[in-house]
Amino acid sequence: MMSKLTRRDFLGLSFKAGAATMLAGLVMPSAGSIVGLGGVAQAATRKITPFTFAVLTDSHLYDIPDHKFDAILAKGVADVNNMNPLPDFVLYAGDLGQLGKEAELVKGKKILDKLKVPYRIIPGEHDWYLDMGKSWKGLFGDEHWSMDHKGVHIIGMNSILVPDYWSMKSLTPEERMGLIAELECHQCGAWGVQQKQLEWLEADVKKLRPDTPLVIMTHSPLWDYYPRWNFQTSDAPEIRSILRKFDKVMAIHGHIHQVAYNQIGNMVSAGMMSTSWPWPYPPVKLPYPDIRMNRANPGDIEDGLGSHALALGENFDGVLHYRAFSDALPDNVKRGVRL
Amino acid sequence: MKAKRTLKKISVMALAAGAAVLFLGLGNAYAKKPLTAAEAEDQQKMLMDMVRKGDELWHSDKLGSNGLACGNCHPDASATNPHTWPKYQGNLGKVGTLRDMNNWCIIVPMQGSPIDVSSDEMIAMEAYATYMHRGVKIAPAKDEQHGAGPVKSGPGYPTGDDGNR
Repeated sequence: MMSKLTRRDFLGLSFKAGAATMLAGLVMPSAGSIVGLGGVAQAATRKITPFTFAVLTDSHLYDIPDHKFDAILAKGVADVNNMNPLPDFVLYAGDLGQLGKEAELVKGKKILDKLKVPYRIIPGEHDWYLDMGKSWKGLFGDEHWSMDHKGVHIIGMNSILVPDYWSMKSLTPEERMGLIAELECHQCGAWGVQQKQLEWLEADVKKLRPDTPLVIMTHSPLWDYYPRWNFQTSDAPEIRSILRKFDKVMAIHGHIHQVAYNQIGNMVSAGMMSTSWPWPYPPVKLPYPDIRMNRANPGDIEDGLGSHALALGENFDGVLHYRAFSDALPDNVKRGVRL
Repeated sequence: MKAKRTLKKISVMALAAGAAVLFLGLGNAYAKKPLTAAEAEDQQKMLMDMVRKGDELWHSDKLGSNGLACGNCHPDASATNPHTWPKYQGNLGKVGTLRDMNNWCIIVPMQGSPIDVSSDEMIAMEAYATYMHRGVKIAPAKDEQHGAGPVKSGPGYPTGDDGNR
């Protein structure tokens, strides 16, 4: 269990690992034409059968007929369906709906069901806080899950659980949802996966060998990027600690609606573009400033949006291709980001 | 002789008039006392009421017709860069103001009807966006490629109710 290490220990250990990685980043220029450090990629995980999977996320569908975001998600689905060869599956990183309405999620599911390959999905805060996940779970099942594919262990978790901010104020479900639907909600608090999922995660990976290639998907980043906008997961240090035994962990996340990259210890993280709207970079330094997207032009409905393909090689070396719908990427990111 | 006296008379009158203007001017300067603490507080409260009203409008889906609010894409009024306007803006196709750009966003991405640029609503939204950027240097036309430029990580403004906004 978690009892032997305090939160301070987690933070201390992960800070040291993070600092070492950043030092390595300073002295090791990125190799070849593909950005990313590749430091973790040299870790000796078990060999896998190479494959590609796709990622779509943050569609923020409204319960309004023929809303413009419906068409952009459909475009993402069509883009994935046109990949050659087809990806093995699609991961969806949350915020399919905007205000947690069942109709939004039903509409989103209808569009996602047109994918030619299977998909796995996790919830975002916009899917959740109207009925506390009832509709979402009814449509998509468990909020956390794991699967094995061609030698890779893949985990999805619900990272948007906040302490109760509504009961004391007797908020209606709509008011509760309305507050957290604002990115800068300051009544809502910092979210995380919470204790039950930490225990589930610990049990899930207990029997896995350290050389098992691991992919984890959460809605929010597993690092402190910009807590004011909940660009964080409060128990990310505990998650990283549970996963520390693995040679290499790839973490992908939605929520930030932008290209971003980080590396802490054995974990490489990548932020995904949305299919709704891009967000400005918050007023903090990106940990890897070269891996970003350009500022979007609001006059171009597809600018700053896209889908993603992550190609995994036999040594569990990944190349993430951001597939921007418009010309949103600097050349180095266009060539692919090494994970 | 007569002419000289008249000239003298005129110059004396002019001097007197000048002195009177000067006196009145000074009188006005001194007539306006510094604000009392209560008055200053009152004026600040009026500003903050507008900021709060602007914040509400900023996050309201009532300005558009497709559910979107300004805050969808501009949390904390980020990337509005009030300190850079007026400037040439490509979507406006001219040198415009932040208010023009607010209306452009209401019309195009939010599919709503523009609001009067001198209405209380528009002033409130400008008050909110500008207040969130307080302390930022005025820099017309400078618009950093990916600068969100809202408040530093920390309080936006005090609401007095739920702590910091």
